[in-house]
Parts: sequence; structure tokens; C-alpha cells
Amino acid sequence: MKTEALSTDSFPADGESAVTRWREHRGRYVDWCTVGFCILGGLLVGITVLALANITMTELADPAHLLKVAASSEVIGSILLTFGAGANAVLLLIIFGTPLAYILARSRPSRFKGAVESIVDIPLILPHTVAGLLVYLLFMRRGWLGAPLSEIGLAFEDAYPGTVIAMLFVASPFYVNTMREGFEKVPVHLENVARTLGAGTFTAFRTVTLPLSLRHMYSGAILAWGRAIGEFAGVIMIAYYPFIISTLIYYSFTTDGIHTSRSIAFTVILVSFGVFYLLRRMTRYLGRYDDRV
Amino acid sequence: MIAFDRVSLALGSFSLNDVSLTINRGDYYFIVGPSGAGKTVLLEAIAGLHRPDSGRVLLRGEEITALPPEQRGIGLVYQDYSLFPNMTVADNVSYGLRVRGMRKKEARAEVAPLLDRFGIGHLADRYPGTLSGGEQQRVALARAVAVKPDILLLDEPLSALDPVTQEKFIADLKRLHREDGLTIVQVSHSRREAHLLATRMAVIIDGTLMDEGEAEVVLNTPRSREVASFVGIENILDGMVTANDGGHVTVDAGGRAIEAVTDAAVGEEVTLCIRGDDVVVAVEDGPQSSARNTMAGTIVQVVENGPIAEVRVDAGVMLTAVLTRRSVQDLGLAPGIPVTLSVKATAVHVIRSFS
Repeated sequence: MKTEALSTDSFPADGESAVTRWREHRGRYVDWCTVGFCILGGLLVGITVLALANITMTELADPAHLLKVAASSEVIGSILLTFGAGANAVLLLIIFGTPLAYILARSRPSRFKGAVESIVDIPLILPHTVAGLLVYLLFMRRGWLGAPLSEIGLAFEDAYPGTVIAMLFVASPFYVNTMREGFEKVPVHLENVARTLGAGTFTAFRTVTLPLSLRHMYSGAILAWGRAIGEFAGVIMIAYYPFIISTLIYYSFTTDGIHTSRSIAFTVILVSFGVFYLLRRMTRYLGRYDDRV
Repeated sequence: MIAFDRVSLALGSFSLNDVSLTINRGDYYFIVGPSGAGKTVLLEAIAGLHRPDSGRVLLRGEEITALPPEQRGIGLVYQDYSLFPNMTVADNVSYGLRVRGMRKKEARAEVAPLLDRFGIGHLADRYPGTLSGGEQQRVALARAVAVKPDILLLDEPLSALDPVTQEKFIADLKRLHREDGLTIVQVSHSRREAHLLATRMAVIIDGTLMDEGEAEVVLNTPRSREVASFVGIENILDGMVTANDGGHVTVDAGGRAIEAVTDAAVGEEVTLCIRGDDVVVAVEDGPQSSARNTMAGTIVQVVENGPIAEVRVDAGVMLTAVLTRRSVQDLGLAPGIPVTLSVKATAVHVIRSFS
């Protein structure tokens, strides 16, 4: 009786019918593929959840110590330094990486383009210590770029600019590749039309292509920032000081032991989670448009 | 007005080869050819979006080969309309004025009459994604016209529209051409559109310009077999001239003698083109014709296509006649029925092998 009613009503008018229908099907049909995928994916998520639960339970057992560590000027200063250096690196990436991403997106395939793409991806495939060493060799006081820049007062070794440049190096593929993907999704016809309407190349880019790629710019910037603030090995090679948060945790771990370093780590987790959540919320509706055209 | 002088251009594996054409002020110029022939690339080259590898582009007699598209005063409407999805209809249409420095409010006021003219005034604050294909088409056209271009380029503008919207849009285009005196260049692979709109046309096949000239001339007296085939001439026969009596020639086409008017010499190989509507069909007891070519045959197939029908007749050579469906019914034409075909010698277009 029920089945007959369902089969004649292909578009249930009310919620009750839809629920009834779902219950009818629930007992009969199991999509084992989806179930299997959920189990496998769940294991991966489970490891992260377990690790977070582990540190949370341990830290909440001694809240006084956690508060003391979190409120220390050393930790607050280090977090601000790390986030600030990451933001500076992203700003530089937006200035230099956006044009690069656009050129890569719009140029025709060629050996040269392939070579440039590979160079962009190098920081992704290198061990972080190697990346750090490359940055160090180039920007140290006697380095190809470090020497002339130190003469005009811009030092990188154990200095803030060193932290920024190391972060920039390791985070660049995340921004450039995301941005390139965004530009590739904007049909070149839109730029062509803009140009026939009187816009120069840069005006067409600024008024058409860039606004349509804003979501990718936000995503790329957030990804790159996350990668930058999480860097350790790449940064310590050139700038052990000032302490970014990763260096501070490592330093604390090797000098004060697990207790303090764990509290710093937990503080960073909370702050990072909060910041990334806010950023995602803020960018939720930015750069959205109806692309059914 | 705009001329291509031996323009060649390579884009990846595709190339335009030595293209020369002239588009005059007030022309409704059609660029036709099969898919992948290079029509859109040619259109984009006219707009200045591709720089030729060799050759010259001239606008009003001045060379503009290296002039960027924003300085050419040539509007472009793509087949996919290419509306800016993040802008409203009014912002799309006023875009060209804004990039020329006009303030947003002024630009919107300037384009308001244009929106009304194209029947999209009520859509001014809507985004393109919410519009129908016909509405998007009108917005794209209004946007291109808003900057008052000298030449308007249209890339297969009718291909994505339903038949009713197509008819309305054809009326819009005719109005733009006649009333506004706009020079229009339209890419198409539709012979019907060319018949309806074109004053001049070019046929491009595999990146090479095969024919160019007055539309009626290209459509009815093509220069080559490929062009004849593309412009839809139903009967294309290869043969050899066997007699020439002061310009009246007899051509042996597959064993059937066909008379035509040409200067071709005896022994010369030629291609004969006969339009299906120039082939008159009579049932055996019907009236006699004065046409020089009269051939008896048997109907092999009748293909009905909307209001017209193609009647294929085996008359020694296979010939196709185009009639109205009503005529087919009145004459009782059906496969197996013996008929007499007649074609005037002047209706046979002769393509000479060296032309």
C-alpha cells in the first residue's frame, strides 16, 4: 500500500512523505561503496581527531599552567610575529605571484612554460631543510642576494626579513598554483570582449579577470598563509631568531621539556583554528557570482 | 573599410593562410565555412586579438596591423555571448563607456535608451546567469553597440537560439544594419542565414579563403567544387566539354550530355553546378519544357524537409530537384515513378578546372 503511494507520487509534496520514502529505502538498500569510502576517510579524520583530543584532554587537566604559558609575553609575541611574517609573505606573494599566475594561465604550452611551472613547484617537492638551505645560501650575508642587500641595510640572517623570505619561498607554490587555476577558469573570451569595448590589457585584467578570480585569490592566500606560519625547518636555517612559534615550541621542547612546549602548541592550535575559521567565514560570500552564463 | 592583405597567422596547429579580403562600409559581410575552418580566428584577427605573422590589415586605408583591439573601434559578440557574470545587465552594457572614463551613473543613464530599444530595460539590475539565451544575446548585442563601433563582429550569433528567437534576432540584425548603417561581419556555418542577411561573403575552408564576393554570386556561381559543396548546391557533376558552339557547350557528365553556357574549350575538364530549384520535374504526361537539357529518369527517393522536399532522380546521372511539399503531393511524386527533368542551359554554372 505504502509502496504504491510512493511510486505514484514522484515529487512528495510534504516533508513527511520524503521521510517515509527514505525510511522505506533505508532498510532495503545499502551502498557499500559509499560506506567503504566513509570508513576509509573516517580513519584519516580519526587520526587528527584523536591527536587533538589527546592534547586537549592533557592540557585541560592543568588549566593554570596552560593559562600561564598562553598569557606569557614570549608566546604572545611569537604568535604575533609568526602571523605577521606569514601575512607579509602573503602580501609579497599577491604582488609578485598574481602576475606570474596570470601569465602561466594565459600562455600557450611550451617547454619554457613547463620549465617555469616546474620551478614554481620546487618548494613543494624539496625537503624543508633543503628549502631552508637554499634560502640561506642565497640570502646569507655573503650570499648572491644577501650581500648586496645587507649593504643597503637589509639583513636576513637571524632577522625578521629572513623569516619572511623563508616563508615566502615555501608558501609560493600554494598561492601561485591556486591563483593560476582561478585565472584559467575565467574564459579568455571575456577579456577579448572587454578589450574590444575599449579596455587595455591591464584594465581588462583589473575589471574582469581579477574580480572573477577573487575566491581563488582568497583561497590561495589562506593556504599560503597557513603553510607559511607552519614552517619550521625552512625558517630556522636563515632565521633561528626571532623565534617564530614553531621555533619556540622546538626550543621549549629541547630546554623545558614536553610540558611547556605542549601548552604552547595547544595555544597555537586554538588561535590558528579561530583565525582560520574567521577567515573562512569572512570569505564565504566574497567573490561569488552566478557562473551559469 | 577594412581589408586583409595576404594575412597569414599560425595558432598552435591551426593556421590562416594568405587571406585577402575587403569589407566595405555598410556591408553585411558573412564569413562561412565548416566547423574548424578558422572563421572565429579570422574574426578575432579582424578585432585585433591575434597579430598576423605576415601580411597587413588596413582600416580606411591606414595600416592597423599592430593596433591593439581597444583602439580599433570594432565590436565583438561571441557565440557564447561572453557576458561578465559578476556584473548586472546595465553594468555589462555600460562597461565600454566606463572604461572610457565615464562615471557609473552617467554611463547607466546613457545606456538606458539602448536597453529599452533592445527590450531588456526591465532586466537592467539582473545578473546574466538568470537570463534566457535570447535575453543574453540581446544584452551582448547592446553592450557591443553601446560604444558605437564602426564595425560589429558576430560569431555565430544565432546558433544557440530556438527558431522563434532566431527570427526575432534576425529582424534585430537587419534593423541594425539598415537603420543604423552599421557594418556587420558575421561568422556562420548556416547557408540559410547567409541567404537571409549577407550582402557580401567569404568562404573559408581549412584556414584558406576559397571564395569572396557578392553574396548572390558566391552562393550561385561558386569558384570551386569545395565552395559549391559548402554553399549547398545540390547537383555537382564532373565532366568534359565535348562541343562548343559559340559559347553554348555540351558537357559529357558521366555519360549524360548536358548543355551549358561557358567559354570552356573542347576537351576541357569542368565541374557543373545545378541548384536543385533550377531542376524542373514533370511527370511523363505533363507539359513540355523549352529548356535545353531534358532528361528522362526514375525517382529514387523523396526526402521531405519541412515545407520543401528533395526529389532524387536517376536520369543516367543522379540529380536532385527541390520542390515544395505541396508540388510533390500535387504531382504524385514517389520512388519508382518515371519523370522528365529539365534544366535551362543558363542555370548550369560551369567551374573551369583552372579557375
